[in-house]
Amino acid sequence: MDHILTVNNLNVTYINNDRRVMAVRDVSFSIDKGDSLGIVGESGSGKSTMAMALLRLHPKGTEISGEAMFEGKNLLTISNEEMNELRWTKIAVVFQKAMNSLSAVHRISEQIEDIYRVHCPQATSAEIKEKALELLKLVNLPDRAYHLYPHEMSGGMLQRVAIAISLLHSPQLLIFDEATTALDVVTQGQILSEIVEMEKTLSTTRMMITHDMSVVATTCNKVAVMYAGELMEFGLVKEVLTHPHHPYTKGLQASFPSLKGEKKTLTSIPGFLPDLSKECKGCVFAPRCSYATERCRKQRPPMIKISDTSAVACWLCEGEKNEK
Amino acid sequence: MKKFVLRRVFSGILTVLIVFTMNFLLVKSAPGDPIRSLMGKETDDPALRAALEAKWGLDRPLHEQYFNYLKNAFKGDLGTSITYNRSVSEMIGERVAATLLLGLTSLLVAFILGTLLGIFCARHDGSFIDSILSTASYATDAMPSFWLGLMLIIVFATNLDLLPSQGMYDVRAGYTGLSYVLDVLKHLVLPCATLVLVSMPGYFRITKSSILQVTSEDFITTLRATGMSERKIFNKYIFRNAILPTVTMLGISVAFLLTGVSLIEIVFSWPGIGRLTLTAITQRDYPTLMGIYLVMNISVVVVMIITDILYAFLDPRIRYE
Repeated sequence: MDHILTVNNLNVTYINNDRRVMAVRDVSFSIDKGDSLGIVGESGSGKSTMAMALLRLHPKGTEISGEAMFEGKNLLTISNEEMNELRWTKIAVVFQKAMNSLSAVHRISEQIEDIYRVHCPQATSAEIKEKALELLKLVNLPDRAYHLYPHEMSGGMLQRVAIAISLLHSPQLLIFDEATTALDVVTQGQILSEIVEMEKTLSTTRMMITHDMSVVATTCNKVAVMYAGELMEFGLVKEVLTHPHHPYTKGLQASFPSLKGEKKTLTSIPGFLPDLSKECKGCVFAPRCSYATERCRKQRPPMIKISDTSAVACWLCEGEKNEK
Repeated sequence: MKKFVLRRVFSGILTVLIVFTMNFLLVKSAPGDPIRSLMGKETDDPALRAALEAKWGLDRPLHEQYFNYLKNAFKGDLGTSITYNRSVSEMIGERVAATLLLGLTSLLVAFILGTLLGIFCARHDGSFIDSILSTASYATDAMPSFWLGLMLIIVFATNLDLLPSQGMYDVRAGYTGLSYVLDVLKHLVLPCATLVLVSMPGYFRITKSSILQVTSEDFITTLRATGMSERKIFNKYIFRNAILPTVTMLGISVAFLLTGVSLIEIVFSWPGIGRLTLTAITQRDYPTLMGIYLVMNISVVVVMIITDILYAFLDPRIRYE
């Protein structure tokens, strides 16, 4: 299948005076056209940093290396003009806090018009309104929402507006950065199923960044598990969630309750995220891993392919490929 | 909106009435006696006292004095000054212009300069100019205005002899026309500079911090992700969101325009309301004092109502039921 986005050896380093924080290290993955990829990890695992770097919205003084190929162009090196052309027409994003994702002192209609005209300066208000109402309908919002101010809506409605805005130019790649995290579970569930429903008619590829395993489980086909800026495990959701290979993924899974099966005591992973400003020689998860060996502490494991679709960065899985 | 304005005006009138009453009672209960200062320290003739009390209406019962005052105030007559024997309304009218000239000029200069510098420093946060201006803003903000005024007098009037240190115009020169205007402007420089230096840091800091805060909001990141130009994002979205606290602050400053500059008026002998207040207090000139308080009170209430209405236009989140 065609890859829409291929990320190779992406490194993102925040530089603050003399401190260098390596927020994303050597991450490589790819997304197929029309696929949905969930990126999970706890706070500080570098998932949002990665998205910001891909969108070139990172703060000043951030060092980025590697490659992110989108339609034959490297997103990290193309000129600002080229990047601006891709923005919103090809790649759109929905952010974390629905309440803050729109300007509070401008009507939704005004903001939509402004955003639409960035790429179609000639569009008339009537044209834009027609398009916007169509999209609002798609996210189950009434027409009157178009003329409201953000504070006149609930968080769920705002998040729907943000999703509708992201679809204005029918982008090929849609990035959700914790887009449903701030909502209550009922609204979150509704919006997630709407997203899945919506995609049946649109041909978008979705990248979903979240710390919530259940969001990935219900809405994504593939999953990438990140820890401390590195990719731990990559594969089909149904495989990774039912048979996790990496000890970290196992730990994450054990810390979420399951709806089915017996009651189990939830366990958390002992320890804390490592200090990312210090160089790490071995596996980054080794200090918290109960299976860690001497090799894990000294040598960094590469992504080991264990099937056609999945790969794991763990020495313990080295032999598993052969077993299958 | 109409309902909101009406209600706001009604509560404004009520506020003025309450303050009016409190002024009256407060001044009445203050120690000291205007008849005493009129008669002089040495005289103590009961007949003279009775005559003076009758003349000024001070022999009537309190409530009668109150309603008389209220009735006259409605007609714009604030009584007659006990010390100057002139109409209080007229005296205040003469002084208001001088106070407004000083207050409005310094307010506008401080607001415009402070806001522009704030915008500049927010856009160049952490730069050399920003660190200098930010530090300087703390320094001048911490200075008492009267002290700064005196220091400016010492440097620019006494030592360098560049500018006049007191008054609004040269009384002896008797300028007219353009040369009078220039003379007033020359006299305006020092008191105005003092007020600007003291009040500018507020505008500077509030503008800078509110722009920095809005810039870090999610919706700005979203707008950047849409490919919108930085110029448009700033001019339309950041500016419009960041200006709100500045407007609040401006409203408060305008409301206290008549009262805020009193200290500086006294330091620079500026013939405004502040000096009139000071003399009225020392002379126990009740009618003048009460008149000044009333005018100040009305100006605060009126400007606050205007600010509230303006605010409702600028920020759609504020819609008064």
